[in-house]
Amino acid sequence: MAQCVQFVEEFVQDSFVPMVAVLCSEEAERATRKNNLNFTELLRPFCRLTSEGHIRDPNNQLQVVKNLRICVNNVMTNPNTASAALSPAQRRLLNEVVLSCQPQEGAVTNVITAGDYNLNFNATTPWFKAYRENFLQTMPASDHEFLNHYLACLLVVSSTEAVPVEQFLKLSQEQHRIQHSGEYTNPKWFIPNTLKYYVLLHDMSEGDEQRADVLYEDMKQRYGAQGCYLLKINSRASSTAEDEQIPDPWSQYLHRNNLQNQHYIVCVVTCNGVSKSYIASRTQLYVYGVSNSLESHPLQLDEGSDPESTAGGAGSHGVCLTLNDHDHIRQFIQEFTFRGLLPHIEKNIRQLNDQLVSRKGLSRSLFTATKKWFGGGKGPEKSVHEPKSTCGLLYPPEAPELQIRKMADLCFLVQHYELAYSCYHTAKKDFLSDQAMLYAAGALEMAAVSAFLHAGAARSYPAHYMDTAIQTYRDVCKNMVLAERCTLLSAEILKSQGKYSEAATLLIKMTSEDSDLRSALLLEQAAHCFINMRNPMVRKFAFHMILAGHRFSKAGQRRHALRCYCQAMQVYKERGWALAEDHINFTIGRQSFTLRQPENAVLAFKQILTNDSRQMATQQAAFLREYLYVYKSVMGEKEASLPMLPLPCIHSSATRVYFGHERRLAEGEKQAATHVSLDQDYDQDLAAMWCHLEEQLVASANRGTVPVNFQQTQCCLNSQTDNLRHPLAVVEEPMIVELTFRNPLKVSLALSNLSLLWRFTPDAASPSKEKMPEEFMGETITNEETLALGVGQQTANLMVVRGKQDLMIQGPRLNQTKEDKMLVRHGPDRRLDPIITPNMPLMEVFFLHFPTALLCGEIRKAYVEFCNVSSVALSGLRVASTHPDFFTFGSQATTPVTPLSPTSAKNCSAYKTLATVNQPGSVAFEVLVSAEDFSQLSTVVEIPIEGNVLEPGESTQLPLWLRGPDQEGVHEINFLFYYESVEKGTKISHRVLRHTVFICASRSLSVQASASRSSVPPHHCQDDKGCSGTLVVIDVENINTSESGVREFHIVQVSSSSQHWQLHKCINPARDKDCKLTSRERAKLCFRAKRCKPHQVTSGGMEKYTFADLNLGHERIVSSSTPCGDFFFHCCRTTESQRADVESSRTSSSSKSQDPSEDKASDLNNIVKKCNELDLNIIVIWKAFVVEDNKQLILEGQLHVALQTIGKEATSLTPKEEAQEMVLLKFKSEQPPPVVVPSAELSQLIKTNLHYPETYTHPFVQNSLCLVPVTLTLSNCSPAHVDIIVDLRHKSTSPESLEVHNSFNWVGQTQYKLQLRPEEVLCLTLQACFIQAGVYNLNTPRVFAKPAEQGTMCETSQQTSSPALIIINNA
Amino acid sequence: MAVCIAVIAKENYPLYIRSVPTQNKLKFHYTVHTSLDVVEEKVSTVGKSLGDQRELYLGLLYPTEDYKVYGYVTNSKVKFVIVVDSSNTSLRDNEIRSMFRKLHNSFTDVMCNPFHNPGDPIQSKAFDGIVSGMMVQTG
Repeated sequence: MAQCVQFVEEFVQDSFVPMVAVLCSEEAERATRKNNLNFTELLRPFCRLTSEGHIRDPNNQLQVVKNLRICVNNVMTNPNTASAALSPAQRRLLNEVVLSCQPQEGAVTNVITAGDYNLNFNATTPWFKAYRENFLQTMPASDHEFLNHYLACLLVVSSTEAVPVEQFLKLSQEQHRIQHSGEYTNPKWFIPNTLKYYVLLHDMSEGDEQRADVLYEDMKQRYGAQGCYLLKINSRASSTAEDEQIPDPWSQYLHRNNLQNQHYIVCVVTCNGVSKSYIASRTQLYVYGVSNSLESHPLQLDEGSDPESTAGGAGSHGVCLTLNDHDHIRQFIQEFTFRGLLPHIEKNIRQLNDQLVSRKGLSRSLFTATKKWFGGGKGPEKSVHEPKSTCGLLYPPEAPELQIRKMADLCFLVQHYELAYSCYHTAKKDFLSDQAMLYAAGALEMAAVSAFLHAGAARSYPAHYMDTAIQTYRDVCKNMVLAERCTLLSAEILKSQGKYSEAATLLIKMTSEDSDLRSALLLEQAAHCFINMRNPMVRKFAFHMILAGHRFSKAGQRRHALRCYCQAMQVYKERGWALAEDHINFTIGRQSFTLRQPENAVLAFKQILTNDSRQMATQQAAFLREYLYVYKSVMGEKEASLPMLPLPCIHSSATRVYFGHERRLAEGEKQAATHVSLDQDYDQDLAAMWCHLEEQLVASANRGTVPVNFQQTQCCLNSQTDNLRHPLAVVEEPMIVELTFRNPLKVSLALSNLSLLWRFTPDAASPSKEKMPEEFMGETITNEETLALGVGQQTANLMVVRGKQDLMIQGPRLNQTKEDKMLVRHGPDRRLDPIITPNMPLMEVFFLHFPTALLCGEIRKAYVEFCNVSSVALSGLRVASTHPDFFTFGSQATTPVTPLSPTSAKNCSAYKTLATVNQPGSVAFEVLVSAEDFSQLSTVVEIPIEGNVLEPGESTQLPLWLRGPDQEGVHEINFLFYYESVEKGTKISHRVLRHTVFICASRSLSVQASASRSSVPPHHCQDDKGCSGTLVVIDVENINTSESGVREFHIVQVSSSSQHWQLHKCINPARDKDCKLTSRERAKLCFRAKRCKPHQVTSGGMEKYTFADLNLGHERIVSSSTPCGDFFFHCCRTTESQRADVESSRTSSSSKSQDPSEDKASDLNNIVKKCNELDLNIIVIWKAFVVEDNKQLILEGQLHVALQTIGKEATSLTPKEEAQEMVLLKFKSEQPPPVVVPSAELSQLIKTNLHYPETYTHPFVQNSLCLVPVTLTLSNCSPAHVDIIVDLRHKSTSPESLEVHNSFNWVGQTQYKLQLRPEEVLCLTLQACFIQAGVYNLNTPRVFAKPAEQGTMCETSQQTSSPALIIINNA
Repeated sequence: MAVCIAVIAKENYPLYIRSVPTQNKLKFHYTVHTSLDVVEEKVSTVGKSLGDQRELYLGLLYPTEDYKVYGYVTNSKVKFVIVVDSSNTSLRDNEIRSMFRKLHNSFTDVMCNPFHNPGDPIQSKAFDGIVSGMMVQTG
């Protein structure tokens, strides 16, 4: 449509062409029928003249006639007169023209980008062109204009006729009769003496050529050389059908003609004898045309291959015509036009002009004045005609006003537009002054057209003429046909001038209720106008397209309607205009369905349902019903493939895929490992934790390094997991896919018989995989689920459809690179594309006697069973846990021989015990054990199964000792079991199994221990070497608060474990009594500890630990054996690591710069520290008596206390984590605090003991001075040389000391300077002198000590605070 | 008064459309959507000529057989469209103007709501109330 701008002139020109009538004799018709054409059809392709003609205007100016076309028509005596509306037959014809002209599939479409719209639509609208052409051609001739009146008549007679001249005469009379008898109102003739042109048709294949020539000569004589012609055709016999090369110019005209023929038949042509024969032939053509229009194929395509139709005379056209014949016809037309028609027109123009000029003598005003005065001549006519005419008066055909119009039309037809315009203009004025509105409108219209066509005129196109004309036609004359013609012309002209919005307005104004087809076409054109504007009005385009579509559908043009809606859809699609979009989709769906395009219908309906609809529930239900109906019919047609269902929506990213069997949770008293199940929600932290555990496991399996290609095993894939890789699934193991459906409608849907469809692509490369499809077939993965989303109560109208939905998962949006951020890109998601691998081992783990609640520190024995349920052996069994100190499998070297089967072991103690003979005061049993005997350091524990391989189907049971966590509360403990196939190089390197338990720990005992140096002089205890006797005081408190029936705790045994120290002897409770603690009771135990034998330490290396057991009951528990020792080492490790953590954090927080001068201080500190170091670990083993269900149970447990230094208290309860104190932000660097060696610590360097008699009896009467020998024992506790100064002269200044010892004096040497070697013990003998009886405190010597190497003298008093009292008696 | 009131986002999708319940909703949707072309046209021509201050009120967009469509564009290119019955001749331009101003104020209030996500359809009782007031009130 937009493309035809350059052809507008041509189009307008072609709308008004000279009309030529044809009367044909029967014989002549027969000759042309050989070519499957009648005479007019034969001429039609050649009706456009290629050469220029000339004509002289009344002023004798030569006028060029270019590109003239004439229209040749059979004489149709149509009883219909010109009417204001199209006849039903015409309507039907136009309808069919439009119907048959459909856009081709894949035709060139325009893409217009307007704003953010990209529209795709047909640039050309051939249906509209066809409609327009047909409309203009079938326009009935009317009285007010002469343009489509016949100017000339061709009389055609065949040369085979006996007497052709007679025939000519007959035809001539016929023509005269038609024109002048008044019998027929149609056809109309331009001028009373119509040009008759005599054509002798000669069939070359039949007649005698010479006779024809003779006849022609005769004709020339009779009619003049200008008035006749000999046309020779049919140079070729029709039998020789080698006419492939001959072009067929008729084909483009004929399809339309067939339709026209149809019209003619319907019009019931009343024919006289001449044209009777064509009724038969036309009927044939009619049938032919119908068959073609139904098939809607180009005509020629299958005609040649259809012998039947060729036999029936409907073969290709012009079979008997050679190219020469074509030229003959062309020549004939040219000859006729230039020699016959144009001179005829010229003559008539001249005549009319003369008439007008002769009348010009009378002034116009006078003329009208006389008309007024002597109006009688016109008056009655007016009154005759006026009643039936709504548009003013009607002129008689000879009226002088019409002569101008006639002349104008003639001038127009021969392209003399200037003259035509002035004539039209004059005529218009006359008509207007006469109030002859119809005539005036016609003149206006033509004046505008000729003004437009007059190229080079200064005059601009008078658009208002057209508007007035249209308005007059429509409103005054009520003649929609003429108004439409006028609109079509005007719109076309306006468009050519770029005035699209005006054109659109015109077109829209012409839409009315009376003709849906016209309204539809015009609306569509208007829409095209909107899109072609400089600023394309996309939405107006769309809206008018919808209106056009609506009218098309009303006019029965479904295909066009569908096309319109589809084009409009492009604008409304996905822009939030849901209501409109739904409406369009619904219409598209309906139209598609009625056009038997159910797939498209389904698609459109699907859109309505898929989008979040804003429709009412009832409307949705209607949509759904319609959709289901259409869908069903689609389904009925093809059974093979299931079409896609739009509902319910699959929330595809929420899809979860689970690999493996659903786990049994428990089997009898066995409790299965929890593993992963679909019930669990994904937790980022947990996943990270499991990944960490798996990494540790893999590292331990690969000798400490994690392979580069390590990937976490994922059993359950969801949107948050890493789905970049294809997941690996094992053959013969199920896969479970969990889908999330959503129903966007307000109508309920019932889903049933859901099954998962899948496709398997075998990897042909490896032969081992070839078998897999069959194996896989056996296990059809179906995930049947019925989701009743509130099914409607009435099941009677329940419609059931089957269909499928594709499951496509879009990966997460990428946001890494700049491009990713700018665009919307999605990563891959391979959740649903698993790779099937060969058999892998599959292990199940069961737990027996696994508790859920424990006391803190309680030891419990449980059993774990490993089951290989696959057909492949597994090995490399390992477990990693978040709480490795919670459990132990025991260590092989020390595992006690306990019954392996869990049933028999029910009432047995978890500990290894030995009966002992009760020996009060006996010393501890010592065992030396290497730490390596016990389990590994890392969180990964290798599980000791026999042979390290678990064969298929085999299962093995292992004991497992558990120890309640030290902190009360609920603990989540995660185990990750690791195993791998015995075969190496499998796709899946290993498999894992998860287990999570929750243990509720309740408080049991609190143990506080402290050590102090015993003040007992070393020589008092014979078996103790040196000065290392240390007292260990243990406070045990029952802090169990639960009412659960822990009746009492018994401390069964206290053991020690250390590299350097050991418990030696029990001091406080006698050996035979065990210590009972009921609720909230507290007991104090006291032990003596000693250093281990040095040779043991050295010989065993650093890692040897001495275990010393002091049992309080009759049974000794071997603390160095499995559960006890294991847990002890676990505990050690955790505390060590904790301490290391604290230390490291401290050092990092303290100032880093260390002065060299401070080194010495730290040296000093070290020495002091060493001296105070006591690396003793106490293990308190208890038994708890619990009443549960009227049964008494004995629970056992152990608590650990690590004593680090002498004098410092340690406790089994881990101190509550103190919240990190808020540190004030300081901007000035703090002065480093002065290094002060803490006196308290230095005071521990030397141990002093005074040995003296407690009471001393002295006869003061005899001797007033009493001398008492006192031994001062100095023992160096530090591993360094220590300088010591002992000063006896010092007097205490404190008042209370004055009171106590009023006066005594040391005599003899009062100051000593000594140096003690490491661990040396030195005795000084002092003498105290008393002068009277009393109680004295001897502890006055001041001892200063400093490490020998220390340069600075930072001596500190070694004074012990405890008084050393002596009683002096007077004898 | 008004038979349809619509708020259209900058990207030309509807934020709010309300029409009198007695008439076909779909028709108004189409009308409002089609009017956007005219709004765009008017904005593009007006925006260029006046540099600084643009008149937000666009006036009558186009008359149809039954309705008159008025437009108003905020500075952030949110469009308000009011459709009035053609038969209602008593309505003056000034009144339409004040209706738009009221609508704009109410819309601003909606946008000021911290819980409103700009670009989402408007679901505000206050706004609803203002709109109903304009639609019900006659004369």
